[in-house]
Amino acid sequence: MLMIERVLGSRLEPSLHERIHRLEHHGTVDVVTVSAMDMSRRRLRLLSAKGEDIAIALPRDQKLFDGAVLLIDDERAIVVRAEVERWLSFQPRSIAEGVELGYHAGNLHWRVRFAGERLLVALEGPIETYYARLDALPGVSSIPRLVVTGEMAA
Amino acid sequence: MLEWGATQGIGPRTSSAARIGIGGPVGSGKTALIERLIPALDARNVDFAVVTNDLVTKEDAERLRRSGLIDPERVSAVEAGACPHTVIREDPTLNMAAGDDLESRFPGLELVIFESGGDNLASTFSLDLVDWWMFVIDVAGGDDIPRKKGPGVLKCDLLVVNKVDLAPHVGVDLSSMLAEAQAARGERPVVATNARSGEGVDTVADMICRAVLFHT
Repeated sequence: MLMIERVLGSRLEPSLHERIHRLEHHGTVDVVTVSAMDMSRRRLRLLSAKGEDIAIALPRDQKLFDGAVLLIDDERAIVVRAEVERWLSFQPRSIAEGVELGYHAGNLHWRVRFAGERLLVALEGPIETYYARLDALPGVSSIPRLVVTGEMAA
Repeated sequence: MLEWGATQGIGPRTSSAARIGIGGPVGSGKTALIERLIPALDARNVDFAVVTNDLVTKEDAERLRRSGLIDPERVSAVEAGACPHTVIREDPTLNMAAGDDLESRFPGLELVIFESGGDNLASTFSLDLVDWWMFVIDVAGGDDIPRKKGPGVLKCDLLVVNKVDLAPHVGVDLSSMLAEAQAARGERPVVATNARSGEGVDTVADMICRAVLFHT
């Protein structure tokens, strides 16, 4: 088991980027893929793509992020790859729809984000469970919605 | 040149104590489970402390302090003042401060246990507060709880079904209830316990130690 107790930086930082790029040519950059839910954890245990058993225990003032460098030396590096988070994006057509949607999203304890006039709900489980809830709410079930990821959810 | 984020057992310890949550409906046996976990964690040489949450009292903290099982100084109390969900999910700053205070008072602390103030099935812990959390339900609360698929039951890292000794007295088919709980959670674990006798508690302690303390 390899214990990781801090993030060294981002692979995009010039000093790390160059070294990782060089290691990639030797095929010695390992990746640990972290689910969207687990990205919020400071302690977790995962297998890397190369099969290394990795235990992550970060200080409370650090968080994982896509491209976080967990280890680097002259021979290898280990980098975090964040799984893409999916969001259900709603576009209410009226203030009344927006208010009702906001009420139900809060009542259902959904994790939300706002983008202009859109309300986005983080999909933390099968989308069918979200549709099942919405179908039971006549006031919001017809609000236009679509699944978005990445920059579309920004 | 070596720049390890990894310590592999060498170098100064930079990470904080692990933090876990124990949530579940009022009366499901959260405090009783902690009373059983205390000696189980002691036996595993874990340096730990507890933060309890109550609505407007310090009832659970006082119970643990009086128990004789743990140094009373290692038990802190948070009075939620209102909805007990809020202080473990939407705004967990009171609990985070309590955890920080324990870590500063007890250097070397490895684990802080946060007991919620008693919830309904919608309760979940913020991962800003804890690294891993369990949800405790009990057979006397009804064998239909797993079928209701509340967020607490579905999202927790470990579902504990407590008071299994009461099953025959409350008309619950325990094996069926456990099977339904497992079906609702897929591959995520479910453990049956009896916090009065200690049944299943070692399994819970082992799972905590593996999940956040990385014991093998």
